[in-house]
Amino acid sequence: MKLRRYVLVFGILLFSILLTACSSSEETNQPKSNSNATGSASDTTTGSSSKGAEKPAEQEPVYGGDLIIGSIGAPTTFNALYASDTASGDIIAAMFNSLTSVNEKLEPMGDLAESWEITDDGLTWTFKLKQGVKWHDGEELTADDVVFTYTLPLSDDFVSVRKSDFENVESIVALDKYTVQIKIKEVDADFVQRVPGYPILPKHILADVPVKELEKNEFNTKSPIGTGPFKFDKWVEGEYVKVVRFDDYFEGKPYLDSITWKIVPDQNALLAQLQSGEINVMSQLPASEFNTWNKMKEQGKIQVFSGLDLAYTYIGWNGANPLFADKKVRQALTYAFDREAIIDAVLNGQGEVAHTPESPLSWAYNPDVPKFKYDVEKAKQLLEEAGWKDTDGDGIREKDGKKFSFELMTNQGNKSREMIAQIAQQQLKEVGVEAKPRLMEWSAFINDYVMPKKFDAIILGWSLSTYPDPTDLWHSKEIEEGFNFVSFNRPDLDKLMEKNTKILDQAERKKVLGEIQAAISEEQPYTFLYYPIGNRAFPVGFKGYTFHPKSQIYQPHKWWIEK
Amino acid sequence: MGGYIFRRILQAIPLLIGISLISFGVMYLAPGGPIELQLDPSIAQEDREAVIQELGLNDPFYIQYIRWLGDFVSGDFGISFVRDVPVSDLILARLPNTLLLMGAAFIFAAVLSIPIGVLAARKKNTFVDNAATFFAFLGLATPNFWLGLMLIMAFAVYLDWLPAGGAQTLNAPFSIWDRIQHLILPMITLGTADMAGLTRYTRASMLEVLNQDYMRTARAKGLKKHLVIYKHGLRNGLIPLVTIFGLTLPVFFGGAVLTEKVFGWPGIGLLFIDSVFMRDYPVIMGITMISAVLVVIGNLIADILYALLDPRINYK
Repeated sequence: MKLRRYVLVFGILLFSILLTACSSSEETNQPKSNSNATGSASDTTTGSSSKGAEKPAEQEPVYGGDLIIGSIGAPTTFNALYASDTASGDIIAAMFNSLTSVNEKLEPMGDLAESWEITDDGLTWTFKLKQGVKWHDGEELTADDVVFTYTLPLSDDFVSVRKSDFENVESIVALDKYTVQIKIKEVDADFVQRVPGYPILPKHILADVPVKELEKNEFNTKSPIGTGPFKFDKWVEGEYVKVVRFDDYFEGKPYLDSITWKIVPDQNALLAQLQSGEINVMSQLPASEFNTWNKMKEQGKIQVFSGLDLAYTYIGWNGANPLFADKKVRQALTYAFDREAIIDAVLNGQGEVAHTPESPLSWAYNPDVPKFKYDVEKAKQLLEEAGWKDTDGDGIREKDGKKFSFELMTNQGNKSREMIAQIAQQQLKEVGVEAKPRLMEWSAFINDYVMPKKFDAIILGWSLSTYPDPTDLWHSKEIEEGFNFVSFNRPDLDKLMEKNTKILDQAERKKVLGEIQAAISEEQPYTFLYYPIGNRAFPVGFKGYTFHPKSQIYQPHKWWIEK
Repeated sequence: MGGYIFRRILQAIPLLIGISLISFGVMYLAPGGPIELQLDPSIAQEDREAVIQELGLNDPFYIQYIRWLGDFVSGDFGISFVRDVPVSDLILARLPNTLLLMGAAFIFAAVLSIPIGVLAARKKNTFVDNAATFFAFLGLATPNFWLGLMLIMAFAVYLDWLPAGGAQTLNAPFSIWDRIQHLILPMITLGTADMAGLTRYTRASMLEVLNQDYMRTARAKGLKKHLVIYKHGLRNGLIPLVTIFGLTLPVFFGGAVLTEKVFGWPGIGLLFIDSVFMRDYPVIMGITMISAVLVVIGNLIADILYALLDPRINYK
């Protein structure tokens, strides 16, 4: 403690000379450097005073203002056919439109498509485009652009992690200037969100680029042209990406002048910069720092929008490991966890207990699944029944001469997961089970342990897609190379999963999906821990925003800032 | 002298090849890859395979290395796996920032540590000397990143005098003063560790010089004390320091990587760390080689300066 103080004093001494100069210039710099949206100490005072007035009537939106969003990752490309990171995805969402997107209730809605029809056999989808949609360079968007974009991935020369999404496409044709028809090979109830969810690229700019060279084309990084509410302005490598208002946006002129994504090294830096006003939007406030940002909120320095994220965190039990082969054991382990306490201790209450591999936000969510509430006695009883007894009195159960002891791995640097590992160790000890936490660097963890299934138990999380197909995680065909690394295998459920995307009637499909969820909850291949609550910080006076569980940049043309 | 420089450059070639071979080998053995890092169930296994194939990551070590070396020798640093832009573009965009930060930190360290070192030597074993020694060791013992975080907490978050990170204020017109403000905290962070060492070296070197006969002679001639110390003493005292500067360059570079990460300073150090976490091999190799070249050049300059400052040394 003493050392810290000395270092601070040392720093202050060194800088006493520069201080006067700094503070005087700060005042003169501030007003001209940023408009009202970009926070700083001076903004917060105006923010809180206007908040104190609390205008009763809803104010009319006003034009102007800039937002600076802090982003940990740097974008990689603005071409959605190649992008797979969230930093790129967010910026793409501000610059491009797709045929369809998903609203805040996770229902498909038209974006560039005004309406769509599907034939009774479920194989032909016809999309009617909105008319008068302009590209950022003034050209009009037509059905040809759509056909061009969705045909690219069908080429043999196209290499991208996104290619398989287009596998099911049989043909894409333009019926007229504003109508596109897509034929698919197999019925897919989620189709409307898969292919038509990809942003449209301008044919008039990219038609001459060979498919092989498209990935490295300048369009993707230096001169993207879209139809979105904001157009590309500048990308300074490693520093920021800036987009500015597109006046001819088809859903109306956006209110904000610009949005800038500032690239910041990590979550601590993000929070520090939010506090010092260098960024004014932070789209994932860390639950572990709840006290810090909640205080800022109470002081009127920021507004916070909250809602459930489309995700869950879990402990995965390796089903191929004899320790976890017995369903009773897995259920007992879940009974042993006080998940409410974990949410309070680790997330400061920013989460909800999870019971099943689907989010309560989804229409497919089944609330009536077997639940395993915290019950130490029940856990002990189940372990006894499964044959695990503490015979030598050392507090750890044995069976056939083997102790119930295993490694609980997770990735380093994720504070919540590191804490969960420690709490799990304590709570499992109560029921006579030894868990040894082990932290690993992300890449090594995933590639050397998780994917090759060389683990006992892991703490991980899934971010869910907006459509409720459980196949990728739970089908037995995904055990070999896919993401079913807990080796969950139930042939009867495999059949249901195969069936689910073929059912076009939502109510009927919901029944099938509900059955799958109930069966997985009963089996407990994972101990489902929690659904995290997402908290997003915005400047005071920021309006027109709707919390979307999946998309950070949702309808940015409606965003505005109170003067 | 010309011949000497030429010889030194020739000697550097096998050294650089060795560095590249080791770096490449370490990367090859490290777990993970740029594609496998994405834990996204919506990405199909065959797509991953296709991309890995396209990047040539399935080839044996020697083929990958020879391919890289061939490109490198012909001036092509390759294309970033993750960002799809040429590595040379990425590095060129960032290098000026790193050189600026390193230069500023270096000047900061030199300007403060040399006078403090001289003062400590003159006031040997007094309070001033002890205080200088104390701060020098404190500086050496303080981890870069920790000092950086403390400075951010103190000057950016609590006092709100200086920005917490980045190289400039966004949405503001370019201003030199703004750039300087952003430079201050990282400069102190990076300069402090070096300053500590330099103070100690200056002190030791000056102590040696102060006891030399010519110093006594100069003072006996009736020259002013200041003039003796700064004109005769410092000049000779600085000679060993020049070598130290050259040798601390790699340490400096390592420090810059951490400092840039803490402050989000958009230099090649930050690019390097990010690339390591994303397993972006071409970028990692590009930066490794550039920094190796810089270090070699730094040492060479130190040797040349040594010769210039000390006429007794002659490189043939």
